Amino acid sequence: MKSGFLGLTKTQLAGLVLGVFGLFLPFLLPLASLSIAGHIGLGIFFMAAIFWMFEPIPIYATSMLVIFLQVVLLSSQGPVYMDAELPLSEPVALEEGQWQIPSSALKNDNTVLLAVEPGETESISVYVVDRNGQHVIVESTELDADTAIITDTGHRLVNYQPNSYTEYLGTLAHPIIILFLGGFMLASASVKYNLDKNLTRYLLGPFGSKPRYIVLGLMLVTAMLSAFMSNTATAAMMVTVILPIIAQLEPGDRFKFGLALAIPIAANVGGIATPIGTPPNAIVIAALSEYGIDISFTDWIIVAAPLVVVMLVFAWWLLLALFPPSISRFNLKLEGKLNLSPKAVGLYAIFAATVLLWVTENQHGIPSSMVAFLPVAALVTGRILDKSDIRKLPWDVLWLMAGGISLGIGMDKTGLAVWMISGFDWGAMGYITLILTFSIVAIAMSNFLSNTVTATLLMPLVISMQASGIMGDDFNLLIIGVVVAVACSLAMALPISTPPNAIAMSTGIIRTKDMAKVGVIVGVVGVLIILAYAVFYWPMVTN
Amino acid sequence: METSDIYILCIEDEQEVLDAVVRDLEKLEEQFPVETATSAEEARSVIEKLLENGKKIGLILCDHILPGDNGVELLIELHKNEQLHASKKVLLTGQAGLEDTVKALNEAKLHHYIAKPWNKEDLMSVSVELLTDYVIEQEDDVLPFMGTLDAAKLSEFIRSGRNVSDS
Repeated sequence: MKSGFLGLTKTQLAGLVLGVFGLFLPFLLPLASLSIAGHIGLGIFFMAAIFWMFEPIPIYATSMLVIFLQVVLLSSQGPVYMDAELPLSEPVALEEGQWQIPSSALKNDNTVLLAVEPGETESISVYVVDRNGQHVIVESTELDADTAIITDTGHRLVNYQPNSYTEYLGTLAHPIIILFLGGFMLASASVKYNLDKNLTRYLLGPFGSKPRYIVLGLMLVTAMLSAFMSNTATAAMMVTVILPIIAQLEPGDRFKFGLALAIPIAANVGGIATPIGTPPNAIVIAALSEYGIDISFTDWIIVAAPLVVVMLVFAWWLLLALFPPSISRFNLKLEGKLNLSPKAVGLYAIFAATVLLWVTENQHGIPSSMVAFLPVAALVTGRILDKSDIRKLPWDVLWLMAGGISLGIGMDKTGLAVWMISGFDWGAMGYITLILTFSIVAIAMSNFLSNTVTATLLMPLVISMQASGIMGDDFNLLIIGVVVAVACSLAMALPISTPPNAIAMSTGIIRTKDMAKVGVIVGVVGVLIILAYAVFYWPMVTN
Repeated sequence: METSDIYILCIEDEQEVLDAVVRDLEKLEEQFPVETATSAEEARSVIEKLLENGKKIGLILCDHILPGDNGVELLIELHKNEQLHASKKVLLTGQAGLEDTVKALNEAKLHHYIAKPWNKEDLMSVSVELLTDYVIEQEDDVLPFMGTLDAAKLSEFIRSGRNVSDS
């Protein structure tokens, strides 16, 4: 499969070339209303989007490249903005209402840019009285002797105030990244001491041996675990649970399709339920917090969990309708014993305390990211996780998220995000159309792209719709953010849509067409359920 | 099913027996191409050719009685080759004495001993288990092998190896 230049496939190679071209593309286009920094930001955005889509380099590598380019090209300490200073001058008063200004300050459309605050300019129209070489005499009531006129209207500092490189690097330790680190360490320790398996054993017990309730039990337990662990690790664990069940079926029995599909569906959907369930949630929460909207752990559960329950029940019904059980009872044998070594007990205590503090955030007010440092510190202090366990944490996922958060900060900072949506008449779109558009676009994109990448590419647009006020009072930033997060996790039509799908497909039990059929139905119904929640439920709980 | 670059090598001097082995491993052949050799000499050249082309050898099934060097000697020699260190080695024979077998176990890190005449299911399950171990030890991505090999073991590896995560 891999061949040719640098061991890349043709698609990857095309992506590499396109991505590098994309980095320079904005400078080849006439984008007069966009600042120089906006051009740089747009180039980085193009490159990142193309690299994330075609994957000539791994997606986490693209994230690191984004941060690197932002630090070098956009930060106040990078070579581009290191010694930059906006050239200013003050107008010279002539007779009444007339001013002499440098001719370079006058733009073609007879406007002059005034520096208001760092990074902000005001454009005023002037009446040109006379031109004499270096200077222009203009008439305006808005000028006075202290006005700072920008004498180079194409300067790279016009409409841009670079921020410190530490802001971009800091995304690697963004509170939401720390929240995930805490979650990853808890999950890693749970796997190490088999807490996930033992929990599954206890939780599945009450569902008995009737096939339809076993499927329900499997889905609920999978969703519950994947709300706190990675969807992927949960799916891999649950596959080991369903394989012995499937072995009890006749070879041609279609019920096995339903069983094998229940796992990835529940794992994907379960991730929606908590902030740490899956990375797209983090991207959305981080983007909203940059904009001053802080969602607590509790709030997120209140918003998302009811939707998860409805989706699961629907998927359960769908799977049983499509692949009805053929035998009346299963022999569900789950072996294992709860690990009661001191370290394992320590883990149980830390796990319980952390989750308790997370879900009660609204009661005590301690931010969830701060709570997340409890497991981080306690698990290593108690030697429950050692050096080799820490090395095995999915750092690539944290890096991927950090790059996404950083890209969002850069797009906001350079004015790119607002500029990107300004070309479209969003106001003509009603609230319902807007929600439908975002959910459908998100589901469609994340069926092919990484869920995190989809959220990363969409969130800056959502934020700028709010920032630009284009949607008016109808717009509820929090709700649209949640719509994006939920929709990203509801894409599961293809084996490549999510890692849990890939695992389920790899078992060889299901066929791609079964997955596609169920995935498309879940996606379509998911959009309708999102819409229903966005209209009836979310406005109630978010205000 | 996509063919992988992991090969199975069968070394056996009697053509009918060789055919029988290959037939019994038919289900694996789709993903793990089977190469055969009838002597130690031929085995060496097959291996050299495969390694030169960047292929890997996941499983070596070897008879003991061969023209030239015997199977145990060959396995010990192959085990010294770094590129074959991870390869799973099986002695498939009726005639290796205790001494030879112990030698193979100690010096070639023999993974399994199958006595002739073998049972088809046993040969298959031993091969599946050894190849499963091989891909767990050697491959970055074990997903492509779940359909053919031990899916439960591979899933468990994904869970505990923690090398696949959400994206």
